[in-house]
Amino acid sequence: MIRLGKPVIGLSLPLVAVIVFAILMTFSLIRMFEVENAMRVDAEQNMLWVLHQSEVAALRLTETVALAELGEVDNDALSLRFDILVSRVALLNDGPQRRFVERIGYDDELDELTAMLQAAKPMVTDFTPADGPRLRAALAPLPRQFGRAANVAMIAEWDGLGGRLEDYRDQLRQTIASLIGIMLAGGILMVTLVLALRQSHRQNDMLRRERDFSGLLISSSGEGILAVDHAGRCTLWNDAMGALLGRSTEQAVGRLLAELSGFFDVAPVRQGLQRALAGKTAQLRLQPLFQPDQENPLHVDLRFFPLRNEGETLGAILFLTDATDRYAAQQQDAQDRDRLEELVTERTRDLDNALQRERSAADLYRNFAAMVSHQFRTPLAVADSSLQRLIRRGARATPAEVTERATRARDAIDGLTRLVGSTMEAARLDAGQIGAHRVACDLNAAIQSVCARQRVAAPDRQIIASNPQHGQVLAFCDPAHAEQVLENLVSNAVKYGAYGTPVEVIPYAEDDYLYVDVCNAGKPIPLEDRAQIFDRNYRGSNSIGSAGTGVGLFIARTLARMQGGDVTLQPACETTTFRLTLPRFKSPANDT
Amino acid sequence: MLTQTTLVFAGLVVAGATAVTAQEHMALHVSGQISGGSVTLDQDALSGLPTVELVTSTVVTDGQHSFTGFLMRDLLDQLGAKGETVTAIALNDYVVEIPMADFYDFDVIAAHSMDGIPLDRDDKGPLWIVYPRDDHEALQDIRYDYRWVWQLYQLEVR
Repeated sequence: MIRLGKPVIGLSLPLVAVIVFAILMTFSLIRMFEVENAMRVDAEQNMLWVLHQSEVAALRLTETVALAELGEVDNDALSLRFDILVSRVALLNDGPQRRFVERIGYDDELDELTAMLQAAKPMVTDFTPADGPRLRAALAPLPRQFGRAANVAMIAEWDGLGGRLEDYRDQLRQTIASLIGIMLAGGILMVTLVLALRQSHRQNDMLRRERDFSGLLISSSGEGILAVDHAGRCTLWNDAMGALLGRSTEQAVGRLLAELSGFFDVAPVRQGLQRALAGKTAQLRLQPLFQPDQENPLHVDLRFFPLRNEGETLGAILFLTDATDRYAAQQQDAQDRDRLEELVTERTRDLDNALQRERSAADLYRNFAAMVSHQFRTPLAVADSSLQRLIRRGARATPAEVTERATRARDAIDGLTRLVGSTMEAARLDAGQIGAHRVACDLNAAIQSVCARQRVAAPDRQIIASNPQHGQVLAFCDPAHAEQVLENLVSNAVKYGAYGTPVEVIPYAEDDYLYVDVCNAGKPIPLEDRAQIFDRNYRGSNSIGSAGTGVGLFIARTLARMQGGDVTLQPACETTTFRLTLPRFKSPANDT
Repeated sequence: MLTQTTLVFAGLVVAGATAVTAQEHMALHVSGQISGGSVTLDQDALSGLPTVELVTSTVVTDGQHSFTGFLMRDLLDQLGAKGETVTAIALNDYVVEIPMADFYDFDVIAAHSMDGIPLDRDDKGPLWIVYPRDDHEALQDIRYDYRWVWQLYQLEVR
């Protein structure tokens, strides 16, 4: 962890060095330019030579005049020497030379000299030996004047040179100091640079090692890894991805994902990639992946992540994990669970049925006494009255009468025996000991038999049994139980119907069911009683004063339901109607 | 700045007397490694060379001046000069050795006029070796300044 202060110090030192370097460099350059400018040699530095040459020219002219006096040289030679001297004076009078002369204070002398030479010109042009002394006298002060001027010029030049050299030395000293500063700054920069290079080298090494390690991680990962840029081109593709999709890294990198496999063009995968490129993570589970030349798909988990660098999304990275085994395990789990649920439902149903049967059996046994007292009362009463009549008749009874009374008693007892058998069968059926004893049962016969018995038990009541309106009335039920239900309903109608009114039994068929309506006129059943009338041991307000246990309707409904039918109380009108519903018998050849 | 014209020297518009004086003294002795050994060229011979004009400043005058004359290399070529150096000698016995290369690297002229006025012997005439000082920074150096020989009257090719 780099402390915040360290890089600041690390940066400030070279920065200061650079600033110092730049300042000193600028200063040195300025100084050097100054020196360079000052080193341009002015013409005045040549003034000593010019004046010396002028002095020589004056001396040689004087000498030539003397020789001309002697006739040893001609006028041309004199004229040449004169011209040379005049040219020297002209040079002194020109531009920079004239200014120098003025500076050393010899301008007046120069003017006089120029004028003198101008005046002497005709004398030279038309020279005669007689002119010699005069000309020499005129030229005599010239060499001395030039010599003295040269002397002053020398001093002036040396003073100037000395001053200039002093300036150069100062400027050079400053430049040297600057250069030392520059060297120090350069040294600091060099050291900083070397340190920075070493650090950079170390960091590069570390980066390279990290990159190699990352590459190793990616390539040796069991998970498929790919990276994609914004254009949808693959930028990274590891071996595991190659194994999953049957494409090598060389084939994949640089190409569009959609070209590599149709899998990447599937809507959820495409959307996941788009989300990741938009900077959001996404996840897909158990996506089917069809490999080339494979019939069954793999199932893979996908995780999409945006590839970020300094807040900018460069692309997306996708991890692909083969989850086929998990998928298979899940499928297996789901199958097991379904099977288990089915089993539980089946068992629950069995248990419910068993419970129901147990309850029914328990109910039946619990109500056995009540049933006995209720159901068996009518046949017993029939048998009893027949036997009583036989006893009362005694010897007066004819054999035919005896036979008739005995037969009635036997019929009653026979019915009672069948009832006991059915009840026991029903109990066993509830206990799951035997199957349902349901057969094709002629309801008309049952109705007739019940009505006949009821007429015997209540000779003063009119009981009308209608014939079915159409079709054969065959029910699919236990005949004894069906008879028992009708018995209960008809006896209830006889018991509670208004005296002097008939009881009607009307069977009819409709679709898959047969119906038997048992109607009686009389006081309607109060509304508060209608809801509870089928409850065990419930006796309605209209039963007060009549004999009963309150289980007749309960038993009737229970028995009807055991046949797959029902007993219901029809909506109140001028008559009271209980309806028995039973399933219709359907033989394979039945074309009702 | 150099311009070459075919001015005929005799046709220069100059003040009569001065011009005569200038022409009188116009003579150049060339010796050394040239075809014919040595030769003295008068004004007529020199005016046969192509005339050029050169505008430059000098170290001994103020401002720029226009110099008229002939290219030194034209003269040397015409004389078939072969050598490394040319010794230039002035009337006042000023002697300077000039590398031959100067005349081929730069357009050095022997000027006979400055600003249209012929150079007289009592100034810097009759001939003045002038370098194109303003055209080349290398020539703005005292080691070239002493090669500006005026009152030139003799050349020796070596």
